[in-house]
Amino acid sequence: MRLLLVEDEIDIQSFLRTSLEETGYEVEAAADGKTAERLAVDGVFDILIVDLGLPDQDGISLILKLRQLGVRAPVLILSARRSVDDRVRGLEQGGDDYLTKPFALAELVARLRNLLKRNSPAGSDATRLRVLDLELDLLRREATRAGQVLQLTPQEFVLLEYLCRNAGRVVTRSMILDQVWGMRIQPDTNVVDVHIYRLRGKVDGPGQQPLIRTLRGVGYVLKDR
Amino acid sequence: MSSRTAKPILHSAAWRISLWATLAFACGTLLVFVFLHRFVADDIQRRSDAWLSGEVEVLGDVAEQTPMNALHDRLVEEVAELASKEVPNRDASASASNDSVFFLQTGGDGSLTLWVGAGNGAANLKAIQASKILPDHPTHLRVQGFAIPFRVASTRIGDGSYIYLGLSERDELRVLRNLRARFILLWLLLVLLGFGIVFYTTRRMLSHVREIAEAASRIGHSDLHARVPTTRHNDEVSHLALTLNRMLDRIESSMHQLHTITDSLAHDLRSPLTAIRGKLEMSLSAAMQVEHADPIVSAIEELDRLTDFLNKSLDVAEAKADALRLNRVPLDLDELLRIMIDLYEPSMSEKGLQLRLHSSGPLIIEADEALIHRMIANLFDNELKHLPASCTVHLRLMVESGGASLTLEDDGPGFDSEVLPHLFERRVRGKESNGHGLGLAFVDAVARAHGGQVSAANCESGGARIALSFPLAAE
Repeated sequence: MRLLLVEDEIDIQSFLRTSLEETGYEVEAAADGKTAERLAVDGVFDILIVDLGLPDQDGISLILKLRQLGVRAPVLILSARRSVDDRVRGLEQGGDDYLTKPFALAELVARLRNLLKRNSPAGSDATRLRVLDLELDLLRREATRAGQVLQLTPQEFVLLEYLCRNAGRVVTRSMILDQVWGMRIQPDTNVVDVHIYRLRGKVDGPGQQPLIRTLRGVGYVLKDR
Repeated sequence: MSSRTAKPILHSAAWRISLWATLAFACGTLLVFVFLHRFVADDIQRRSDAWLSGEVEVLGDVAEQTPMNALHDRLVEEVAELASKEVPNRDASASASNDSVFFLQTGGDGSLTLWVGAGNGAANLKAIQASKILPDHPTHLRVQGFAIPFRVASTRIGDGSYIYLGLSERDELRVLRNLRARFILLWLLLVLLGFGIVFYTTRRMLSHVREIAEAASRIGHSDLHARVPTTRHNDEVSHLALTLNRMLDRIESSMHQLHTITDSLAHDLRSPLTAIRGKLEMSLSAAMQVEHADPIVSAIEELDRLTDFLNKSLDVAEAKADALRLNRVPLDLDELLRIMIDLYEPSMSEKGLQLRLHSSGPLIIEADEALIHRMIANLFDNELKHLPASCTVHLRLMVESGGASLTLEDDGPGFDSEVLPHLFERRVRGKESNGHGLGLAFVDAVARAHGGQVSAANCESGGARIALSFPLAAE
C-alpha cells in the first residue's frame, strides 16, 4: 500500500512515517503543498494523509487541486484547528475522513484501513456477514453464533455489525461512537466499554472461543481467525 | 428571536410625536383664531356704535324740531324704518315685529315721556337709570325680559330732556356666532390635516429606524457578517445606520482577532501534543513488559485529558466572549436524547442508576450538532460520575413559553450548597469531583451561544436539578 503523507511538522512527520511503515505502508512524505502535488502526480498512491495547516497553501485547496489533477485515492485529513470547516464536512461526505490532532496512532491506522476498505468495491451490499462461526443476517437483523440465535437489542446488533464489517481490524472508541451512534464526543466515562462488555456477554458464551478482544488504551478487535 | 409582529399603533413613537405636535399646532391656530375673533367683534361693535351715534343725533334733531303732539307718530315711523332697513348686519328673514330697536325720551326729572318699541318701556327705563349712560358713548345694556342685551346711545336735547336709542345686539351676536362656527370647522380640518401629515412623515422616518433595529437584533451571536440597511438620504437615521455598521465592523474584527488567537493557541499546543503522544505510543508498542508500559499508558491518558481540557477551555473562553462559532442545523432534541440515553443506559444501569425520559415528541432546534452532543454527554457524564447507586434521573423535554425546555432532575444528594452559586463558573467543582471543573461552564457556554439559558438548583426533595432552555427553530 503506497501512502502519501503531507505534513509540515517534521516531528509529527517522522513518527508517523516510522509507525506507518511498521504497519506495512510504503510511505512518501512531503512537507509542503508544492512537493505533495509533484509527488501525487508522478506516483500512484492508494491513500493520502493531508494536514490542513501547510506552510504554502491550505490543505483543502491542495486536496481539491489533486482531485482536479485526477488523484482518486481517499484522503485522511489531519486538523489542529478548533472548528471543522464546512469544506471538510463536504469532503467527509465525499468519502474522505478527518481526524483532529492529537490522535491515537491506532485511531489513525484504523481510520486509514476503514477508508481503504470503503473505497474497495467488494462486499458492501452483502445481506449476510460471516466471521468464523458468527453469522449476521442483515435483512432479518438476526445474529447467530454456532447456530444459536443471539438475543441482541437493535443497538447491539448495529454495534456487532460494525465490528463484523471491520473483523480483524482495530476499532477505537471514538470510531464506534462516530459510526454506531453518529456523534464525535469524548465522554470521560466508560460508556462504550459497557456496551462492549454486554455484547461480549451475549456473543462469547461460556466455553466458546472469545471473539471480541480488548486492546488496552486502544480499542477493540473482532477476531477473524 | 425577535417579535416580528407590528406593535399596536397607539404604542408607537410616531403616534406620540404626532399627538404632541398636533397639540402644539392646535393651540397655536386656536390662539390666532381667538385674536381674529376679537378683532372682528371689536370692528363690528365700532361700526354699529358709529351708526347708533349718528342716528341718535338725527333723532335728537327730529325731536327738537317736531311739535310734541306729532312727535310720537313721527318717531314711530322713523324707528320702524330704522328697524326694518337701516340696522347694520340685519337678518332679512327675521320677523317683522320690531324688537330690535327702541326709542326712549325722558323728561328733565327722569320720567318716561316718550316710548317707541316693544312693550311699555318701563324695564328699559329702569335699566337705563340703573346704569350711567353718557351722551356720545354708546353703552352695553342688559334689560330685564329681553334675552339679548342692547347697545344704547343717548343725547341731550335743548329742553333738558334726554333721548335714548337702543339697538339689540342680536344681529351682531349672530354674525359672530356664524364666524365662530366657520372658524371651528376650519380649525378642526386644519388640525386633522396637520396630524395626518405629521403622523405619516414620522411614521415613515421611524419605520427606517425600526428596520435598523430589527436588522440589528437579527445580527446575533454568530452572524456578524450581516449589516443593517442604509438609506440614500443623508439624515440622522442613515447616520445611525452607518454608525451601527461601523461598530459591527469593529466587533467583527475583534471577534476575528479572538478567533485567530484561540486558533493559533490551539494549533501551537496541539502540534507538540500530537508529536509527544505519537512518540509515547511508539515507545509503548516497543515496550515489552507490563510494568514498563503502565507509566506510558497513564502518561498518554493524562495527555488526552489535557487535550480535552484545552478544547473545553477555549470553547468556554470563546463562549464567554459570545464568539463561539456555530454551524447551525435543524436538530431534533427528542431523537438526540433517545440516542444518548441508548448510549448511556448500560453504564447507568451498571451503576444502579435509572434514566427516564418524559418527552412530548419531536422538538426541533437550530443548533450546532457537535456542540450539543458534547453538552449532553457532559451532563450525562456528570450524573454518571456523581450520583450514588439506586438513584433515578428524570429527563423532561417540552415546549415551554415558546422555547425548548430540557430539565434533568435526580434524587441524589444534590449540589453542594457552597458550590451552587458558582456552578457555571470555570474551575468550580465539588469536593469529590476529579474532573477539571469545566463541565458545567461548558454546558452554560453552549446554551448561551445558542441563545439559551441554563440554571441549576436543588429540588425540594434534595436532588439536583439542571434546567436548560433553547429557542425553537423558526418555522
